[in-house]
Amino acid sequence: MDLSILFGWVFLVPLLPALAFVIIGVLGERLGRFEHGGWIAVLLSGAAMVLGVLIAIGEMLNPNTYTDVSYTWFHVGASGPFANGVSFVVGTLVDPISALMLIVVTVVGFLVMLYSVGYMHHDEGLPRYYALLSLFLTAMLGVVLSDNLLEFFLFWELVGVCSYFLIGFYWRKPSASSAAKEAFLVTRIGDVMFLLGIFIYFSVYAMTGPNGGWAANGFLFVHGSASFIPIGAPGNSTLLTVAGLMLLGGAAGKSAQFPLDVWLPDAMEGPTTVSALIHAATMVAAGVYLLVVGSIFLGGYTSIVLFAIVAVGGFTTFYAATMAVVNTDIKRVIAYSTISQLGYMVLAVGAGFAMVGLYQLFTHAFFKALLFLAAGAIIHTIVTQDLFRMGGLAKKMRYTSIAFLIGALALSGIPPFAGFWSKDDVLASVYSQLGAHPEYWPFFILAFVTVFLTAYYIFRVYFLAFSGQRTRDASLPEAHEVPWVMLVPMMVLAGFAVVAGLFAFVPSFAALFTGVPGLATNVPPAYGPTDLLLSAISVTLAGAGILLAWGLWGNGRVYELRASSPVHSIRNLLLARYHVKAAYDWVGMVGMYTVARAADFFDRFVIDGAVKGFERSFRSMSDGMRRIQTGLVSDYATYVVAGVIAVFVLLLFVAPYLASLFGGG
Amino acid sequence: MTFADFALPFLPEILVLVGVLLVLLLDVFGVKRIEVFGSITVGATLLALLFVVADLGFLPFAALSTVPASRIDIPLAVVGTPLYSFTSLGFVFQAIFLSATLLVSLASMSRSSYEKGAGVFYALVGMATLGMLLVGIASDLIFLLLAIEVTAISTYLLVGYTRRDPRSLEAAMKFYVIGALSTVISFFGASLLFGAYGSTNLYYLRSVGGAVGYPTLILLGYGLLIAGLAFKVTLVPFHAWAVDVYDGAPSDVSAFLAGGTKKIGLFAFFLVFLGPVLFFTTTGTSNPFNAGVLNTGPIFQIVLGVLAVVTMTVGNVLALMQKEMKRMLAYSSISQVGYMMIGIVIATSPAIAGATLQIFSHTFMKTGAFLVVAAVASLGIGPLISDWKGLGQRRPWLSIAFALILLSLAGVPLTVGFVSKFVLFSSAVQAQGYFIWLAVAGLLNSAISVFYYGRVLKVMFFDAPDPEPEATVAGPSPPVSERLSMGGLGYARASTIALIAVVIVTFGIFPQVILGPIQSAAQHFLIAGP
Repeated sequence: MDLSILFGWVFLVPLLPALAFVIIGVLGERLGRFEHGGWIAVLLSGAAMVLGVLIAIGEMLNPNTYTDVSYTWFHVGASGPFANGVSFVVGTLVDPISALMLIVVTVVGFLVMLYSVGYMHHDEGLPRYYALLSLFLTAMLGVVLSDNLLEFFLFWELVGVCSYFLIGFYWRKPSASSAAKEAFLVTRIGDVMFLLGIFIYFSVYAMTGPNGGWAANGFLFVHGSASFIPIGAPGNSTLLTVAGLMLLGGAAGKSAQFPLDVWLPDAMEGPTTVSALIHAATMVAAGVYLLVVGSIFLGGYTSIVLFAIVAVGGFTTFYAATMAVVNTDIKRVIAYSTISQLGYMVLAVGAGFAMVGLYQLFTHAFFKALLFLAAGAIIHTIVTQDLFRMGGLAKKMRYTSIAFLIGALALSGIPPFAGFWSKDDVLASVYSQLGAHPEYWPFFILAFVTVFLTAYYIFRVYFLAFSGQRTRDASLPEAHEVPWVMLVPMMVLAGFAVVAGLFAFVPSFAALFTGVPGLATNVPPAYGPTDLLLSAISVTLAGAGILLAWGLWGNGRVYELRASSPVHSIRNLLLARYHVKAAYDWVGMVGMYTVARAADFFDRFVIDGAVKGFERSFRSMSDGMRRIQTGLVSDYATYVVAGVIAVFVLLLFVAPYLASLFGGG
Repeated sequence: MTFADFALPFLPEILVLVGVLLVLLLDVFGVKRIEVFGSITVGATLLALLFVVADLGFLPFAALSTVPASRIDIPLAVVGTPLYSFTSLGFVFQAIFLSATLLVSLASMSRSSYEKGAGVFYALVGMATLGMLLVGIASDLIFLLLAIEVTAISTYLLVGYTRRDPRSLEAAMKFYVIGALSTVISFFGASLLFGAYGSTNLYYLRSVGGAVGYPTLILLGYGLLIAGLAFKVTLVPFHAWAVDVYDGAPSDVSAFLAGGTKKIGLFAFFLVFLGPVLFFTTTGTSNPFNAGVLNTGPIFQIVLGVLAVVTMTVGNVLALMQKEMKRMLAYSSISQVGYMMIGIVIATSPAIAGATLQIFSHTFMKTGAFLVVAAVASLGIGPLISDWKGLGQRRPWLSIAFALILLSLAGVPLTVGFVSKFVLFSSAVQAQGYFIWLAVAGLLNSAISVFYYGRVLKVMFFDAPDPEPEATVAGPSPPVSERLSMGGLGYARASTIALIAVVIVTFGIFPQVILGPIQSAAQHFLIAGP
């Protein structure tokens, strides 16, 4: 059967979780018997997964097809240089990258949903949880399947809104509520940049391409010869450089890249399942996906932007890994590791290998979801996130420990686990560009060193939590293995963490990566001797990291720094997150206060002062006036005079000056 | 021309007038029930709306149209220079005005049946509506200002008609004094323009442009008109009265002011300022009307643009700081006017269409918002935003309707507020040049506004209600049927709010239904409007 007949029905994939959102939202607590809506969410996201995976397989069997189904929502008439108006189109696009993302989002989404049934069982407000989680899936699937930039942005915003509510799920807890706000505000900075970038793309490309131009066709993503935007030749246009940087800003916000990374570790305040979804499949993936979309559908990036992407990605990789090294909260370590791994993806996109970045996203989604779910299993049974109170869990939670070990090996990049293939692919891709771009060297080295750090910090977590004879804190509840609804998703994900990297050796799967023309790719089958050498070095580094972790923390050991050690200050700096967050808080506070104070001052002294001044002069002019006026009305009457004067000042002095600046319009 | 030929095009106005007279008459003859007055006004308005929609050519009503097609959107030079003319955009605005009246009249029927002054209330609403309808067909400056005045005087009285509440009396007094002052300014401006042009016909003014020898008079005249009209539409810094008046007036009246009567000023801006905005811009080579006498550069665009940006920003920032629901809505209303002014500044057909759509959606949203405030007040809930805690649990349907209204005000997709903002801002981007900054300012302001609308949503749906006073703590919680019913709100008010929610979502999902006609009306208006 030709699965491509399903491509037109792909809109059902986001619609099924949306249906779950509506059903659970409307019926609410009346769904108590169905695990408060949990089973409905599982069922519908499962259906979405089946359809999504079938469509993805269809795309693999019909390599390099772009199936667009769209509908014009409304049309804004022509004016100015947009001679054919602007259309707002809604539609779906099935292409290699959305097929890949369909697998990631629906599979991880379904498994997290299933796991939630066990993990969230004792919580309150479950209908709200399942409704929002379903909407979160819808939003991300919307981003992935959007066939135009406007629709993409709307779903992108919806992802942000859902994450706000989910991170703040325990909204009675002040820390959760402030983490949610932080996530929303920080990503919003990125969103505003993204929006400005969209503006620039619109104004540059509005009239290019067939059928009356890009704007008239609703800013469709079209690839190949019918594309509205010339591919791969952005030149050195300053406008496009700014646009690309803005796009990078948007991606950095969502994908938590430096300097917009502060929200992600704090987003741990949400339920662990939400973290798993955010870190693996939904929120942070959107940023990288945007960068890939930019490479494929928006004409690529100028060289300055590419360097900026490499710099941001390479630096973030290292920067986040260092903070993971010292943290004592199991979820936060994994959170920093996400930022670091996202850095690899961004790095690959910047080096010109968008599909390699996506490959890393694909494998990372599975092992990162796995790590979070395993961490969630620990938190579920012993109710602490502090690594130094855990220990010896391998005996009591055998399956969970195996699952975590597989995730850790995959993250460290030990062959044949998934992370090895994609991470080495990233390193090899960047390496291949070093000849042409020697300025990439520092970031390549940072990325390489990070391999060592990664293996060290994740095995530090593993040994602290699972090795040894007993838990360090005896007051904790007795650990036990988690129920099957939680184990099954972990096992499936563990299976993916083992084999996802090897998928690239399946020709039809690899076709997803090689099928996009105009983009350099080197998925593993294209390995040369240099790549093998790089792999050997990186595996050695990872092995060294694991050994060091074993030496310091293995078998129940706890490594204590000597009090005099100079490493203390570094450790404190890292624990304080390089003081970046504190600086943000300070800037935010001072900024807010200044604005508020200025507004207050303006209102009280400038406006009121002017009004009072006028009033006084009026009163002295006419004593009789006072008798017929209430004080307040005279206030407002003086506004009249002030306002008229303001209009004339504008009209006679300010506007002619500005008009002369604009050269007479 | 027979009398019927003359009178039939005015059928909507006549219907509203008949409604007003009927209400007054019944009031004199001792009828007291608010339902009677309400039904008459609603009926008259609904009929008038039907004919206006027919004039716009909407199937299946088009056959009812009473204005011959040969008289719609015809440049005035062809048919002489009367005081009025029929334009599609004028009809669109008339439809908007009538919708506001309809909603407010309908909702007000839920007030206590024998409330004193109900007849006066409906008569005043009707008369204000008559003035608004006349604004929709004005093509002469004096006619326009007089029509505005008909509405204004009715609204001064409306704000204070309850007479018992000292707050609303004070608000009426302020409104009256300030309004009178702004009228004086507008008329002074008009007289200066008459001095310069020797005519007050808006089409003549626009076609002559700056080509008469009195640039100072023209600048002064238009400048004073900006100030005068800015009061009506609450542009910053002419906004100060609005908050006190909206706050002090009964909520139904606030709904009518913010949703309805304020919009006549915006249409007046379209009528008066298209000429200055479009034609006082360059040295005359590209401008058939401007013989090069008034080479000022685009100063009117700049002045109105600055006022628009200042208005949206100040309105938003002050809305952010409010603790009372009505004041927050009042400031949000001010900031929305800033968005609408973008359409006048840019003055291309998509921009005018965007502004008109924004005015349309704002009429529904803001009327609805104030009606919800009235409904909530009737439940005995206080005026502070924090008093609305937990409303989502106590009144889920009302809260959902209000949430839809707020989401639409914030411009969230699938609501009509999104479409109107999108059209407006995209028209600014289309216009290129420094107009893009208007779109940027609008978008940043929309982002700010999300915070204060979102805060209300949070209070309603996430904050637990304050514990009830002791007497009710022990009692059982109300049964589900009571929580879900609109009981206590009154059916008329409840159904009006429901209608508004339906309109917001329907046109949010199928915007092209109204966007198409509005865009073609805007196109015609640019060619044939006054």
